[in-house]
Amino acid sequence: MRRIHRRKLLKLSGASTLAAGSGLAGILASGQAPAFAQGTTLQWLKFVDFVPVSDQLLKGKIKDECKKALGIDLSIETINGDGIQARISAAIQSRSGPDIMMAASNWGQLYAENLVDVSDIAEEVGKAQGGYFQTSRDIAYDGKRWIAMPFTILGVLFANRTSWFADVGVTPGKFPGTWDDYRAIGKQMKSKNHPYGQTLAHAFGDGPAFWYPYLWSWGGKEVEADGKTVALNSKGTVESVKFAVAFWKECFDDGGMSWDDAGNNRAFLANTISSTSNGASIYLLAKAKADTYLTESGKPLKDDIFHAPLPKGPAGQFSYHVPFSNLVPTYGKNQKAAKDFLRWFHTKDIYGEWFTSQQGFSTGTTRMWEDDPVWKVDPIMAPFRTAAESGHFAGYAGPAGRAAAEAISKFIIVDMYTKAVQGMPAEEAVKWAHAELVKIYA
Amino acid sequence: MIEGAKWRRWVFFYVPVTAFVVGLLFPFYWMIITTIRPDRELYRPWSAPNYAPFWTTHPTLEHIRNLLTETLFSTWMLNTMFISLAATAISLFCGLLAGYALSRLKFPYAGLIGTAIFITYLVPQTLLFIPLADIIRNFKLGDSPWALILTYPTFLIPFCTWLLMGYFKSIPKELEECARIDGAPRWKAMVYIIFPVAIPGILSAGIFAFTLSWNEFIYALVFLSSPEQKTVPVGVTSELVRGDVFFWGELMAGALLGSIPVAFVYSFFVEYYVSGITGSVKG
Repeated sequence: MRRIHRRKLLKLSGASTLAAGSGLAGILASGQAPAFAQGTTLQWLKFVDFVPVSDQLLKGKIKDECKKALGIDLSIETINGDGIQARISAAIQSRSGPDIMMAASNWGQLYAENLVDVSDIAEEVGKAQGGYFQTSRDIAYDGKRWIAMPFTILGVLFANRTSWFADVGVTPGKFPGTWDDYRAIGKQMKSKNHPYGQTLAHAFGDGPAFWYPYLWSWGGKEVEADGKTVALNSKGTVESVKFAVAFWKECFDDGGMSWDDAGNNRAFLANTISSTSNGASIYLLAKAKADTYLTESGKPLKDDIFHAPLPKGPAGQFSYHVPFSNLVPTYGKNQKAAKDFLRWFHTKDIYGEWFTSQQGFSTGTTRMWEDDPVWKVDPIMAPFRTAAESGHFAGYAGPAGRAAAEAISKFIIVDMYTKAVQGMPAEEAVKWAHAELVKIYA
Repeated sequence: MIEGAKWRRWVFFYVPVTAFVVGLLFPFYWMIITTIRPDRELYRPWSAPNYAPFWTTHPTLEHIRNLLTETLFSTWMLNTMFISLAATAISLFCGLLAGYALSRLKFPYAGLIGTAIFITYLVPQTLLFIPLADIIRNFKLGDSPWALILTYPTFLIPFCTWLLMGYFKSIPKELEECARIDGAPRWKAMVYIIFPVAIPGILSAGIFAFTLSWNEFIYALVFLSSPEQKTVPVGVTSELVRGDVFFWGELMAGALLGSIPVAFVYSFFVEYYVSGITGSVKG
């Protein structure tokens, strides 16, 4: 057997340490999978993707490439979004579970002290890919460090029926630019039995994604920029609530009072509503099953849909998109492998494969992805390209920290509007919501 | 049966019973019709011409085929069956012994212990799953059927014990005392005299325990992770609810096929079940 001298051993171990510590470039330069990762299995818990081909790509080609590039066996578990938070809570509490967990919104802020610092990867990816959108930073950066690796942003825009809007003189290029205009059109729509559709129930995506930016556009906000002073009870908020009550009565389908996240999809696909704030899932499903989803005249529904941003209010135009991030818990035995995987996954080539498979359902977390060729494939999806630019997150104008996460999970802002629509005076509804926020931010 | 004028029978018996039966069976009918209705019909608006929400003229088995070929549904069924049967057997065994002891043996605080056992049944699973996750990790049982087989009895044993306690109390003591006078020891009197008489109660507890295990969601969601280890309730929702899109046809097919074993168990033992619930042993 060939002998290895101490000096050579030290040199070799130094080189491999360097390779392991210098990121993907080091790994690739060394020409072999890093020693720490040989035989390592990483468990990644994630939402089952709306776009099935994206999960197939992850579980097939990307899993294989990961094995070749990093020597890591990737085990991906996909579950329904409603169950993820229970899994994360149990894993953090029992200090056992997946090595990487996909979280929605700012859930990571709830578990910040139990999460590995991923600042090195996040900064590296952000710098290389044109910088993060504000939403990505809001949910994954706690002011001192990156507690989560931004994964994707699900763009939220209005999905609208082209032919029904045309009937009242609205073309995709001239979509109502203000809430007043949108309401005036909605009144006509409802009189033709084509109401708008929006949830006023506890739908974790669609509820906040509409009512938060609506509030901001009127000048209302949960807290001041200091993240401590609750500022909800303001003239802007009260005006927004008063407007919403009449707006709802004149324009919306009353069924929205009980809709979960699937409610508006179902209503739109069944030709019941003319406009709703949603991700691209309505259009993509209508496109994937063109023979199934038809207009009332029997034509494919996909050819009768266009997307548009939420209108402006007195304080400007805002949007709220649903961000996702990946958490690396501190209990994990493979923390370094988990970080190396995330660094590798977010390289342009690998993430690009996954991003392309999304067909525009995901807007990417950094600005570089606005220039991706995927946006030229389908003009109906093009409005999502820059959707995330105006995005803010719960807690605005303060940070999207733990308090903001608690407020959103209790649906306080959504419930404020619901109570008013159900008959509570606007001032009372605002006072109630303000008091609830004070309890959380105190 | 209602006696008297014919209208009384209609008003006080036939009409209420019909409404009750229709109300109870409608969800099953809805599951069936949604399962066999093609997607094109499922998403038609109620206002569409010739729309028939309660039947279909183009029945299809497409959703069942998708469920069976594109998901691991049959594996989930087997997992659920194994876990439910094992958890039910363990719970019934423990519940029988505990129920008998608490209702028949004279020892201090028996009543208090019985109440305490029932109170543990009332602790919600949404509170218990976090500490139980810790235990599952310590015993290295995660992602195996045993994680559920050993955790389901935490709510099934109190339930079985409480139900069987009540049933044992309705059995005359004299039956057992006769056996004791004839020289049978306590356990023989229990096994050969009381348990056979208590069959309806035991079956009722078993059916309930089986149903609770079959439908359980939160523990199965938290303790199992591999797709091939999942149970029906978790597997179906994991695979057939994608973001904000529900695949209703396949979901209803899963609900329909998943409810067959439970419906079978109920129908097979319905007579025992009714007498078990009503405590029909008379002194």
